Amino acid sequence: MTATLTAPAPSATGRPAPAPRQLRWLLRLHRPALITGTALTLLLGAALLWLGGPLTDAAAAAWKEYNACGFTPRCSYDQDSILLYKDLYNYTTFAVLVVPFLVAAWAGGSLTGRELESGTVRLAWTQGVSPARWLVSRLAFPAALTVTATGLTAWLHRRAWTAGEHRIDTTKLWDDTPTFYANGTVPVALALTGLAVGVLAGLVLRRAMAALATAAAAVGVLWALVHTALPYLWSPVTSVSALGDGPLGAGIAVEEGVLTADGDRLAAPCVNGGMSGCRASLDDIGAVNYYRDFHPASHYWPLQLVASGLLVAVAAAAIATAFALLRRRTSRVSA
Amino acid sequence: MTVPAIEADALGKRFGRRAAWALRDCSFRLPAGRVCAVVGPNGAGKSTLLAITAGLHAHTEGTIAVLGTDPASARSRIGFVDQDKPLYPQLSIAETLRMGADLNPGRWDADTAERIVAGGDLDPRKRIRALSGGQRTRVALALALAKRPELLLLDEPMADLDPLARHELMGVLMGQAAEHGTTIVMSSHVVAELEDSCDHLLLIGGGRVRLAGEIDDLLAAHTRVSVPADTDLAPHDVVESRTAGRQLSALVRPAGPLPADWRTGPPSLEDLVLSYLRNPEALAAHPTTEAAA
Repeated sequence: MTATLTAPAPSATGRPAPAPRQLRWLLRLHRPALITGTALTLLLGAALLWLGGPLTDAAAAAWKEYNACGFTPRCSYDQDSILLYKDLYNYTTFAVLVVPFLVAAWAGGSLTGRELESGTVRLAWTQGVSPARWLVSRLAFPAALTVTATGLTAWLHRRAWTAGEHRIDTTKLWDDTPTFYANGTVPVALALTGLAVGVLAGLVLRRAMAALATAAAAVGVLWALVHTALPYLWSPVTSVSALGDGPLGAGIAVEEGVLTADGDRLAAPCVNGGMSGCRASLDDIGAVNYYRDFHPASHYWPLQLVASGLLVAVAAAAIATAFALLRRRTSRVSA
Repeated sequence: MTVPAIEADALGKRFGRRAAWALRDCSFRLPAGRVCAVVGPNGAGKSTLLAITAGLHAHTEGTIAVLGTDPASARSRIGFVDQDKPLYPQLSIAETLRMGADLNPGRWDADTAERIVAGGDLDPRKRIRALSGGQRTRVALALALAKRPELLLLDEPMADLDPLARHELMGVLMGQAAEHGTTIVMSSHVVAELEDSCDHLLLIGGGRVRLAGEIDDLLAAHTRVSVPADTDLAPHDVVESRTAGRQLSALVRPAGPLPADWRTGPPSLEDLVLSYLRNPEALAAHPTTEAAA
């Protein structure tokens, strides 16, 4: 066949082609997820606003009534508000904490896993989109949305919790595990890590369901690791107390025991130093004081930020691995 | 001299360090502007070769240049239709084409895309998931052609098209090749499907290139002979020979003029391809390097 060679497109000559417009299609392809995610975020946000506003006021008023009752045998107070507050607080806290799992599952299952399983990724890569650009689009905008949504809900959660502190007798303490996490930056970092790990899982496993499950499980494992390491992420303060008082210091405990006259730390045989039996065994080992290493409430933000930093580092490692993997799989520049 | 569309040298690919080679020692050169048939049995390595050329797989060894550069750099100038014709099932046909326009800025030819889709009487509002296999092929071809590629790679493009659509789309492809000088490479395991439209052949078997070159040259270089069974065929290279009774029928590559008393005839393309595929050892006797030179 004889054919005249004509340059099929102007961009083939010299000037670089404009970047493909991927965002619009990312949004279109994941429209159901986008709508669901936005609806859930708004719903959760509204619930937290209600919790921190009218419901906190109602529950606080009810507690005031209840406490005013004293020992009066018949006394009426607004028990419904108190119970509703408690339920809604628990539900919203759970919801804030479950978002990272949903993000990871979606990222692994839908964002990359399904595209690799069905082969549509080959369609993207043989249109004008390079694998690296494709991966950037799968990470950048979803990451921005994830940070916005989780940041907003965690902030609203903290706001609601702060509103109830000291006003509602059953408010969770700052170091209550779900409250501790839902009030800070960890949900944001965990969701971001979930996105990165999910994207990587989809690329590695190339199967939607497997990547979905792996990504969600990975978030669980990461969180468990962070929770285990949490007491050691910031140097604790030490409180030393008299044997008669037992170990003191409220917050996240790291370690406790007894101190000898030489300053050695020993395991405490018992914690009721005021009782004679216990006192005898404390004297036997030469204990002079109880000590406790712990994190007071002032360590809240250092602990949150270090934990979040670790998670973000994991996310960065997952992203770097994803890019390296894609590069190794798809392109090798011929010498 | 123009840059060749594809130039492969000792190209090899295996998926994983311990896996068998999907493609090995693959050397050939495809000049620009050709319509090339890549034929071979199932699992021969055709899809692997096309995917490497399209920049979807990194090769393991050897070199490949596509349109004068590496496959990844040539990405925007290559059109590719995968064997499975993957498309986003939730998009409509019209959306799929708009996506093509957005993903190929500066190259997109909306008229071509719409013309190909319209040829199939398809409602542009129809979702991809509601299309038949042949209709999906049509949309996939529209996407690949409308980016006005310089090199169009088609993996089993006609497999699920009916004869009418096959004829029409083949016409569209040939028109594209003639009008724009597009190099087209299409794989198939049905030789007859490609015989009329292709001018270049790449025969792959067992992960290796068995035969490569202009179809006319390849056919001219081989002769089908029919001689008495006790005839010595030397010094001509024998691709395949079969004895039936007192007759010996063989496909040979003449080393010089054949004796006048031999009954000879030109082989068909299918004959040629099948002879090579049936006789893997024939490769050694016929290094195809001249086709790659």
